[in-house]
Amino acid sequence: MRIEARGVYRKSGKHPILRGVSLAVRGGGAFVVLGPNGAGKTTLLRILALLDKPNAGEVLYDGRPASRFSGAERTALRRRLGFVFQHPLLLNGPVIANMRYALKLRKLPAAEDRIDRELAALGLASKKDLDVRLLSGGEKQRLQLARAMVLEPEVLFADEPTSNLDPVSARTIEDRLRKMAAAGKTVVLTTHNLLQARLFGAQVFFLKAGEIVQQGTAFQVLENPATLDVAQFSSITNVFHGRLVRADGESFLEIGPARIQVASGLDEGPVAAIIRPEDILVSRDPITSSARNHFSGKVTFVDDLGMVVVLQVACGDLTLRATITRTSLREMGIRTGDEIVLTFKASAVLLFPEE
Amino acid sequence: MGYFLEGLKQALRLLVPPSGEVLEIVGLSLLVSGAATALAAAVGVPFGLWLSLAEFRGRRVLVSLVQTALSVPAVLIGLVVYILVSRRGLFGFLGLLFTPGAMILAQALLALPLVTALTLAAFQGPAREGRDLAYSLGASRGRMLGTILRQGRFAFIAAMITGFSRVVGETGMTLMVGGNIKGATRVMTTAISLETMKGNFEIGLALGIVLLLVALVVNVFLQMCQGK
Repeated sequence: MRIEARGVYRKSGKHPILRGVSLAVRGGGAFVVLGPNGAGKTTLLRILALLDKPNAGEVLYDGRPASRFSGAERTALRRRLGFVFQHPLLLNGPVIANMRYALKLRKLPAAEDRIDRELAALGLASKKDLDVRLLSGGEKQRLQLARAMVLEPEVLFADEPTSNLDPVSARTIEDRLRKMAAAGKTVVLTTHNLLQARLFGAQVFFLKAGEIVQQGTAFQVLENPATLDVAQFSSITNVFHGRLVRADGESFLEIGPARIQVASGLDEGPVAAIIRPEDILVSRDPITSSARNHFSGKVTFVDDLGMVVVLQVACGDLTLRATITRTSLREMGIRTGDEIVLTFKASAVLLFPEE
Repeated sequence: MGYFLEGLKQALRLLVPPSGEVLEIVGLSLLVSGAATALAAAVGVPFGLWLSLAEFRGRRVLVSLVQTALSVPAVLIGLVVYILVSRRGLFGFLGLLFTPGAMILAQALLALPLVTALTLAAFQGPAREGRDLAYSLGASRGRMLGTILRQGRFAFIAAMITGFSRVVGETGMTLMVGGNIKGATRVMTTAISLETMKGNFEIGLALGIVLLLVALVVNVFLQMCQGK
């Protein structure tokens, strides 16, 4: 099914939540609505799933506008869609009753084998007869997904399905959704986690204050963020405010006394900059490289994140964070207080004009 | 104190085994208040449910009106019903005054705002959640409403019982429109009121005990429902 939103506008009281959102979701694969809290992600998803109506604009399903649907047509269309709410909505009673109720609502036969298969796929086989009140948050969310899946929707909407869940539940849910997308069905999920968007290899719509500010593949959005807001999703550290200046045909970012060579077509003036920690090379001694920026500084913090380690380095007035692997850390024997050298390319600096 | 205990003894004698008169009065009480509650529920539950789901201008005003209706005194409802069903009234041709019909009507009007407000309060959250849940699973409109009632059935029962308790214990209004006619419109509360004035405490006490028992049974039933 092809779902298309055209200028969707929705307000709550007098406050606009969605300010003219247009997007198209073509059948098959994963789509991610990414954005900060309060951007309108949930509202957008609810409208696309026919749970709410826009105040203005139109949503088309296979080219047919939703506003012209009769009640019966809306119901018929909803039967091809599924929805997983951020806070699981379950019926009081045992796990199995929730699964059966979904089939009963649709007057489908109680296909116990299908129910068992979905519960097993989400690791709930042993919880079948448990009252839903006794489930953990992660199990509730998994049950909600299993219940949606047993109806075999063509398009599944999932509103932040893994936020605040334990890692096992989050992983189980992600796997099930990815399997669905890989099977040629459509999955539309909201998240404020870019890593999750990347995991799905999805088409990303970045929503900010009720407007889509950028869309593209997760990779494109990550590598070429259109605005500072988008960029800050992939890197919340090493954000600087300075001035862009040009000298001798080269561009520089001046942050206080520090001067960083950049590659940018922007006009001179105030800019915001982001240098991703993973784009910074760490070494004991200065290295020969085509990279234009070298800073030496003192390690002030070593944050062990497991697979990788983030070093906080004071280079004069500039504090930079750089990511290295745990192996490199060990090999170089870096400790707090050590003098090290940071190297990065001019193109590693992402710049955004500021007023 | 002695004559209170004497009255209590006589009251128990009236109850075990129950006298025909007591049975008749209790039966009519339950019938009138039960019918009134059912009538109030038939209108109040759908109305309350609709109010908890609907989104329109003036919804708040309507909700305030329902809440205001909660504080309308019973005698005022009695007066209005009296005027409506008295021979010269709008519904005078029905000949309802001083019949159980008039009592049911008045008690239903008394219970209506209560049942509506309780339904509204109980379903404010569950109604929207139930609608989301049912619609997300592709339910039709009818099944969606069924899902909400299933999710909120305890709240629904509580609304019923509160409404019933309110009307079964009402006296003044029921007396006004019913007339406390022996064998026709005499119910527990009006009987207690009359017998007490006549000095027949034993009948009053016997009926008082029954009233308490009714309340007890009804509440135990509710507790059992919620415990399950």
